[in-house]
Amino acid sequence: MLARLKALDTGRYSIFLILGAVVVVASFLSENFMTTNNVTNVLRQVAVITILAYGAMTLIIAGMIDLSAGAVMAFAGVVSVIVYKDTSSMLLAILAGIVVGVACNLVNAFLVATLRTPAFIVTLGMMMIARGAVLQLTQGQNVLQLGDFVVLGQGSLGPIPLPTLFLVIITVIVWYLMSQTRYGRSLYAVGGNEEAARAAGIAVERVKYQAFIVNGVLVGFAGVIFMARVNAGLPNAGVGYELQAITAPIIGGTSFSGGIGTTAGTLAGALIVGVLGNIMNLTGVGSYVQQIVMGVIIAVAVAYDVWSKRGKRKTVILKNDGEADGQPPASGEAPVPAGSGTASGRQGKGVSP
Amino acid sequence: MRNLSRTYLTIGLATAALAVTACSGGGDDGSSEGDGESYRVAYIARAQVDSFAAWLANEMQSEADTYDDITLDVFDGQANDEIENTQIENAIANNYDAIIVQANNGEAQRPYIQQSVDADIVTITTNPRVDDIEGASSVDASPYDQGAGVAELAVEEIPENARVVVLNGPGGNFHSTERRNAWEEVFFAERPDVEIVAEDIANWNKDEALTLMEDWVLANGEIDAIISMNDNMAAGALEAVRGDSAYDDILAYGVDGTPEATLLIEDGLMTATTLQDASELAELNMSTVHDLLTGAEDEVNVDIGNPVITQDNVQEYIDLYTEAGLIDG
Repeated sequence: MLARLKALDTGRYSIFLILGAVVVVASFLSENFMTTNNVTNVLRQVAVITILAYGAMTLIIAGMIDLSAGAVMAFAGVVSVIVYKDTSSMLLAILAGIVVGVACNLVNAFLVATLRTPAFIVTLGMMMIARGAVLQLTQGQNVLQLGDFVVLGQGSLGPIPLPTLFLVIITVIVWYLMSQTRYGRSLYAVGGNEEAARAAGIAVERVKYQAFIVNGVLVGFAGVIFMARVNAGLPNAGVGYELQAITAPIIGGTSFSGGIGTTAGTLAGALIVGVLGNIMNLTGVGSYVQQIVMGVIIAVAVAYDVWSKRGKRKTVILKNDGEADGQPPASGEAPVPAGSGTASGRQGKGVSP
Repeated sequence: MRNLSRTYLTIGLATAALAVTACSGGGDDGSSEGDGESYRVAYIARAQVDSFAAWLANEMQSEADTYDDITLDVFDGQANDEIENTQIENAIANNYDAIIVQANNGEAQRPYIQQSVDADIVTITTNPRVDDIEGASSVDASPYDQGAGVAELAVEEIPENARVVVLNGPGGNFHSTERRNAWEEVFFAERPDVEIVAEDIANWNKDEALTLMEDWVLANGEIDAIISMNDNMAAGALEAVRGDSAYDDILAYGVDGTPEATLLIEDGLMTATTLQDASELAELNMSTVHDLLTGAEDEVNVDIGNPVITQDNVQEYIDLYTEAGLIDG
């Protein structure tokens, strides 16, 4: 039975099969689920978390983590709102949010990449600093009367909500960065095996700085969209968002040990979480039960994903070993560059959903 | 050499941290020992990330500044029982003359509040009151009365056979539970014709209420009223239907009387809220602690009023908030 189930597996597409199954089941559970309005709702609701998730994915692939994302998002968003209220310039407001996100992440990068401090500890510290800073800035009070700033979170271009449009654009950019550039390949190499990457001539510290900068841009921009969506500068926003942001890439197949992960997988992970939340709200499932269901499905999805790949990974490793030199490892969004993966196990890491 | 540098760095950082602490007014300044000239009061706030708690902490500090013989130190409980309990213990150990506790969870803080009383420290519980601690005083705004104030209005205003949604605060939260109890007894018991089409927890948060309401609108179609246990969640739910002409007449009730709620009431988007006045709470807390410290009173248990804000009187509160710089003029 297990073997038959495994035979159904299509390897790196398993997370998309799970997403498909969730969507099909949801459409049977509520007649409202597949309506245009609801699909728009889901895409708008997942925008902020997915953008944060791309940043988390970038860092996890490089072997790092960011626990400060929620607090930095709140700090960046509130600063953006304040700048808009002072200048009435949308561009300056967006830039201000991004600058705050990048600045916080540059501090993280300095401590992690240059001083070699564990990212877990550094970003935990930054979480407290950013939260304290935004509370000090606002004295704990919400910033109100945002005017046209809300367009960024509540406006639409035709039928497409602006947060969804931003998400699509950012998805394409992140996909391009991760799969089509030297930066992306270096990121996988550093996360796969830092010492091997260094030996292969990759500037590991620079790659880590770049990863934090990308994360900073994404977190800062997510803050701008979040505040515009809720029509207020909320200094207490984003509590726990860092964990939600990490959940999406992990469900989507990103490995906590680094070196593996894809943009599409992260998007699928975020959509699974978003669709589940949406269908439970539509069917009137209470928040206590929602937490239980969400926890179970996350655990099952990840366990299935890991289990279904186990046989495939061995096959790929054996196949790669048998292939002629110079052949790239089996498909992944961005394979580890030749020379950076010293063990066959690392090559196997190239197989990702 | 490297170890030596690390030692110097650690010493430097620790010194800097102590300097910052000293400059920000924390710690024992040794200015008083309850000698009748100056009193040290510790205020253990529930959570500075909670906008009402932060507002109350600011008001407490401002009010304390008006007393020449009171120095107030504010500590953030971070919505965490363990942290809050530790801070009460620290305040006892630091020989404060009085400790005011804004409990995160009354039952979790109860033994520590009792310790404070047992140490002969003037002890006040506020927002919420922790009942049945002999020797402790309390200053509170009754959450039941706050809920009842708007619920009474809703009995008259919400149309017959209305479909309503209900937004609650965190599970087990005393204020949320009491406000919900008031709605049950004052409104739902009186209006069996009203149907609750959806009810859930949004943890006092605007963004969570927004997401819930977006989904509920799709799932349930017509919704006549939003019943929320605080203003933040009511405001979030209203964002979901803002600009949708099908919901132009939706009624929305909250509690707290936040600056945002007054603006929404002024715009005709929100119907009513009960004011939980942080400045009045602070004023009463400081006068109570002063009376207890100077021996003018032995024990005080007092509540602030719960004025209901509607379009009829909202301008008064907008003027108040504008003057306080909380909303633009």
